[in-house]
Amino acid sequence: MTTSRDRDLDRLLEDDGGELGMLYRRLPHAEPPRRLDRAVLGNAARAVRGQAPRRHRWVMAFGSVAGVVLAAGIAWHVGQDALREQSRHEGTLSAPVVVPVEPITTSRRRHADAVQSVEASAPAPMRAEPEPVAKDAQAKKAEQPAFARPAPVHEKPAVRLPPTPPPSAPAPAPSAFPPTPMQQMNAAPAAPAAAMTAAEPTATPPAQAADSLEKAAPARMRGGGAPAPSNSIELRRDTQLTADDWLAHIQQMLRQGRRQQAVESLRRFHNAHPQSLLPADLQALLE
Amino acid sequence: MGVDKTDEELMLAYAEGDVVAFEILYRRHRGLLYRFLLRSLRHRADADELFQETWSRLVAARERYRPDAKFTTWLLQIAHNLAIDSFRRQRPQASPEETEAVLRDLNAPESEQPDRALSEFEQRRRLQLALEELPEEQRVAFLLRVEGGLGLDEIGAITGAGRETVKSRLRYALARIRARFSS
Repeated sequence: MTTSRDRDLDRLLEDDGGELGMLYRRLPHAEPPRRLDRAVLGNAARAVRGQAPRRHRWVMAFGSVAGVVLAAGIAWHVGQDALREQSRHEGTLSAPVVVPVEPITTSRRRHADAVQSVEASAPAPMRAEPEPVAKDAQAKKAEQPAFARPAPVHEKPAVRLPPTPPPSAPAPAPSAFPPTPMQQMNAAPAAPAAAMTAAEPTATPPAQAADSLEKAAPARMRGGGAPAPSNSIELRRDTQLTADDWLAHIQQMLRQGRRQQAVESLRRFHNAHPQSLLPADLQALLE
Repeated sequence: MGVDKTDEELMLAYAEGDVVAFEILYRRHRGLLYRFLLRSLRHRADADELFQETWSRLVAARERYRPDAKFTTWLLQIAHNLAIDSFRRQRPQASPEETEAVLRDLNAPESEQPDRALSEFEQRRRLQLALEELPEEQRVAFLLRVEGGLGLDEIGAITGAGRETVKSRLRYALARIRARFSS
């Protein structure tokens, strides 16, 4: 009895399952319905759809970090460029404050004369690397001999005088008019030099001084042929005004006696707004 | 494709997001699992429900899968756990007295048993009836053996029973089936 049950068990544990195993395999082969197949496969696909494969996740993480680093690097670089640009811009902007006080043609010519006299006695050194504009302007100013610097002279805006040769003996000229604030500011660096020249015994007679005043004024105006940077800035500012404000500013300049600047600004206005009707006085000025 | 891969390789591939690997795996084992559940639970609706639930559990646990055990063993273990829960909810276990009563009827010699004279259709019908009447533990052990092709140790691992206990359950199951054939 026990033996037959053990024998049944042994046969059941054989590879083919014995007699009962074979009989079992002849039972109807039930299969899951298709709806279950769809449900299970759909569930399995949904489960992994939102999940990137592991190695892809690693690549994505690495890519994200690299992207952040790259973006930060670019931002830093752009920031540095902007700072460099800003400092360069400030350098170029600071130059006009210094440069406009000089009547460029006369001062350069004088400077060239002075340099020529020095060069005649000594060989010229090798030219150094060009320095930034602001430094260059300041250095020129420092190099310029005190006597070469023109005294503050009030502009005669409405007068166009013919060009005259540079004065042979520059002398500080007493100004007939009180200097404008702009002129005071421009003349400020030259003040000590003017004081020095005033302290020296001058050989220039008053008549010659008056003459030099007349000569200095056109020289300055010739310098205005290329508008001085401060004026240029003002002119540029005008272009940003509305048409009415611009015209009002031109008229204001006329009232202040700054005819040259007013004309220049008016030309620009006419170029910018060719269709605008001008007041009669400005129309006349333009023509 | 992935048809040459083992179950374990396919399962690992699915854990990494390869849906095709899962489909191959599913096609291989859907019938085995379904029949195991259908014959364990006897009600098709229950079998359907647990069939779907078994695969859902497997999908949810895909990233924790380690190919330490056979995939089939893991799959059937999930199904068995669900089936046990279902048994507990649905009906009481067969009492030991009931089991002993069946065994007393099995003492007739094999030569006197009329099962060999039955037609094949009748044999299959009686086997089905015998399976339905088996106590759950015996039925599960028998099904894991004949349907899943598992050995004593694997059946023990799934059901949480020792090797001798599994042998005992199988012996009782065989005795009951014989009894059904001789009745």
